[in-house]
Amino acid sequence: MNIRLPLALAGAATLALASGPALAHHSFAMFDREHAVTLVGTIKEFQWTNPHSWIQIEAPDDKGVVKEWSVESQSTGTLSREGWRPGSFKPGDKVSLKIFPMKDGSPGGAFVGAVLANGQTLGRMGP
Amino acid sequence: MRASAFALILALAAAPALAADPPPASAPPGAKLAAWKDLPDWSGVWVGANGSGWDSASMTKGGIAGLPGAREHPPLTPEWEKKYQANIARVAQDRYPDPVSFCGTPSGFPRSMSIPDGYEFVVRPEQTWVLTENGPNVMRIYTDGRKHPGPDDLWATYTGDSVGYWEGQTLVFDTIGLNGDPHTILDRTGLTYSSKAHVLTRLYLTGKDTLTATITIVDPEMLTQAWTVTKHYKRQPPGSRIYDYACTENNRNPITATGQTLTLGTDGKPIDKTVDPGK
Repeated sequence: MNIRLPLALAGAATLALASGPALAHHSFAMFDREHAVTLVGTIKEFQWTNPHSWIQIEAPDDKGVVKEWSVESQSTGTLSREGWRPGSFKPGDKVSLKIFPMKDGSPGGAFVGAVLANGQTLGRMGP
Repeated sequence: MRASAFALILALAAAPALAADPPPASAPPGAKLAAWKDLPDWSGVWVGANGSGWDSASMTKGGIAGLPGAREHPPLTPEWEKKYQANIARVAQDRYPDPVSFCGTPSGFPRSMSIPDGYEFVVRPEQTWVLTENGPNVMRIYTDGRKHPGPDDLWATYTGDSVGYWEGQTLVFDTIGLNGDPHTILDRTGLTYSSKAHVLTRLYLTGKDTLTATITIVDPEMLTQAWTVTKHYKRQPPGSRIYDYACTENNRNPITATGQTLTLGTDGKPIDKTVDPGK
């Protein structure tokens, strides 16, 4: 499979997925839902907010240059019922995040899954 | 009672001009207030099980509204098919803005029966409330025998006016007074309905923890015949809660004048590589 975006990948995670997060508030056409990628990095900030929660993560690109990525998830209501809490991501945590990246190569994406610092999995990390 | 409600729908479908007449209420003559003991248990938190496409059964392209190429196949009038095609062309360019993305208005009915996040269905003898976490939307369905307001007392709103009655443990209700296109949409494939829409909904349990809605739209501007879709909702574990949803709290996806959905960084500036001119 070709990787259309110059992203730092963990485990060559290019996955064609039939479904993914249902973003409630706006079109998700800007995300590449065919090619999920995994970022490995350090949490900078977690915004536990509506209409979407956001994970700011610093992770290297394919040249090893660290960038700040904006990863968009769902509403606090839906996330809380799926086991998320305001403290799920803390600044400094080392995590893996699987995302549907933005099609234009910008450092952003839609959340698919995460492995937290304590080993807990949120969302879906597998295929 | 059931026969009369469906007769209404069938009559409207067969003769769309009737929709311009004052719509009759669906509460049958002599309807009585239901007793508390006869009402179903719809307590708890529910989540829709059918995604955000209005009619996944007739949807192409994997059933995901908002993706280029996804469309449904309702019995559209030629005029509405043109409108739908124009909207589909905008979806293909990712320039079809969803009204709710502006964080100012609710989804409106009937789209409110097909949105993400949690639902509550609060049943009382004289009315039922459908409360959606997303939006939020608050829908009141009167079951106290009242009829729809007359033409002078009815104006278009996001939620419309709903009256109904209990047919055993099935809530049957009838909704008119909807604002429709361009204020509300059915989903992000570009599907809309008109202010002439008349909606009949049947809401009932099909399992202990499965609530089902069959929703029939009659709309002489949009449709050549009545169009029915079925939605399911799953009850969440006991103790589940509904939470706040304040759309302007942290909306990092503003919409430009051309309909482009932007993504903002934490500094409030777009991270998108390109932003349409004239934003």
